[in-house]
Amino acid sequence: MYTTAVGHYPKIGGKAPNLRTALNRLDLERITQEEVHRIEDENTVEVLEAQARAGLDVVTDGQVRWEDGQTHFARRLKGFSIGGLTRYFNTNTYYRQPVAEGPVAWEGPIALQDYQFAVAHSSKPVKAVITGPYTLARLCVNQAYPDLNSLALALAEALNQEALALQKAGAPLIQFDEPAILKYKEDFPVFLEAARRVTRGLTVKTAVSTWFYDISGLYPQFLQAPFQVIGLDFVSSRANLELLKKFPSDKELGFGVLDGRNTYVEPVEQIVEALRRIKRVVPLDRIHLSPSCGLEYLPRERAYQKLVRLVEGARKAQEVLA
Amino acid sequence: MTKGLFTTSVGSFPKPDYLVKARNKAARGEIAPQELQELERKATEQWIRVQEELGIDILVDGEMYRGDMVAYFAEHWEGFGESGLVRAYGNRYYHKPVVTGPVRRSRPTTVEWWRYAQSLTSRPVKGMLTGPYTICDWSFDEHYGDRETFVMALAKAVHDEAKDLEAAGCQYIQIDEPAICTRAEEVEMASRALGIVTKGLKAYTVTHTAEYTQTYGEMASVFDQVVHLPVDNLDLEMANSNYFILELFRQRGLPGDKAISAGVLDVHTHRIESVDRVKAGIRQLLEVIPAERLWIKPDCGLKTRLEEEAIAKLKVMVQAVREVKEEMGIE
Repeated sequence: MYTTAVGHYPKIGGKAPNLRTALNRLDLERITQEEVHRIEDENTVEVLEAQARAGLDVVTDGQVRWEDGQTHFARRLKGFSIGGLTRYFNTNTYYRQPVAEGPVAWEGPIALQDYQFAVAHSSKPVKAVITGPYTLARLCVNQAYPDLNSLALALAEALNQEALALQKAGAPLIQFDEPAILKYKEDFPVFLEAARRVTRGLTVKTAVSTWFYDISGLYPQFLQAPFQVIGLDFVSSRANLELLKKFPSDKELGFGVLDGRNTYVEPVEQIVEALRRIKRVVPLDRIHLSPSCGLEYLPRERAYQKLVRLVEGARKAQEVLA
Repeated sequence: MTKGLFTTSVGSFPKPDYLVKARNKAARGEIAPQELQELERKATEQWIRVQEELGIDILVDGEMYRGDMVAYFAEHWEGFGESGLVRAYGNRYYHKPVVTGPVRRSRPTTVEWWRYAQSLTSRPVKGMLTGPYTICDWSFDEHYGDRETFVMALAKAVHDEAKDLEAAGCQYIQIDEPAICTRAEEVEMASRALGIVTKGLKAYTVTHTAEYTQTYGEMASVFDQVVHLPVDNLDLEMANSNYFILELFRQRGLPGDKAISAGVLDVHTHRIESVDRVKAGIRQLLEVIPAERLWIKPDCGLKTRLEEEAIAKLKVMVQAVREVKEEMGIE
């Protein structure tokens, strides 16, 4: 069993220089972009250290530099402008909605440098994270392609370049974030074809990550998607636990058990109990134990406590359930 | 002549520099609460004067004494623990409260501030509350474990506050529910809770609601519930979403008992809209909503803008309304 983070981590609240203050000062032209990059680096190092200190087996760079999962990629791909603010699923977090205005294309590495920085500063293995082509297409305004399918496939080709670059750089695991597919289930064929294209040529282990919604109606066909690790949120809905009656032996499960959206820190026993139940379907050595989603919905201190608890739960479960 | 196109604001205005500094000092215990309060009163008076001078019809106090619209109430009510800072978008953060026990309002929260603001002007000042659904949705729940129970407990507290505002003489009470469309499956529950808040009120009620709904399709799916929310006036953002919601009003109509406060200024950009652009927006609105049931205002609270930007934007809005009124013979 591995313990891991899903993706983002609170950007402020640690000992490193405050990134919020820095960005305000940048807006007022009181500091330079280079100084902001340095502060982002310092915070990234701090977030990497926090995850290692909590005891996670596999970490992310915390996505300190990402404004959000959509614009971070759309701004760096060809073909997008950035539109008005809109709500991210059912959260109180918003993002500026990318607008696909012309043919989209990969013009050079987006997440690669950040991945390399994280590896150089982490004592733990780092996984690379890319917003999946289907979710990126679904959360954009499409003014360039005749339908969602053609935009998603164009994005799959573009992001495939990014994934190949990350593979070449030695990433041990590439995770594609595709939360939208569990909300808009009717798009499954689009998601599936985009998934096939975005993973073409990859020999590295791949994961798909989802959150906030359950897999009802899409299981077991979801397993056709060419990812080795299937990441699901077992907090937002109890349904996922009920639905997973069978799980194939060539797949691994991303088991999101701690609520990444609430400050309440669940007791160790709750994690052990959840693992006891899932163990009947998926052996523990194929479980990637994680919070239900990225932790930026929490204050920094509480995010850390969640990770500490996650690791405590994993250790206790290995003792009790082994 | 028809009366109509009343001007108002959604609620918050930017805090002057001296107040921002004083709030920081007060948070560190470096100045006394009374000293801070005097500056809050001074800033409130400034904004009342700004609105009077611009000629706005229905005023707000600008919320100089509030940090966040949810945390403010959490800080004054029993049941909430310390809030934490959480990012909302871009570089904007808010204090997200944690509910750790039963919610209870032991005394009036906003009444004294409303009384003070109203004492400064002969124009009506709105009483400003945050609705139960939004307080729930924007808080961490470590106590209730069930959203509906939490929302209904909040509804009672907000209702009591509204009654106290009304008893103090407040004629316009706004209960903000920006989060109401966050989960389509909960709009009915949120509407019921708002009904508990407005039940028995004689004051004119407004709700600022349905912020940032993702798409036309998603707004369409909750539109009928939103237009029947139990208030007199629905305050909606429109400029930020390019007035797409008007198509729904065109198709399905506006219930006869409702007025609309329509947002014509994007509050998320430094750019000051041109008078012509705002006039074009107002004309679009008038094609669908009769002038006597149409209020004009910025999309949202202006607190995230610089002071001079907020004033410049309001000035453009008032000028646009004035010109449209003249051209169309509206009083």
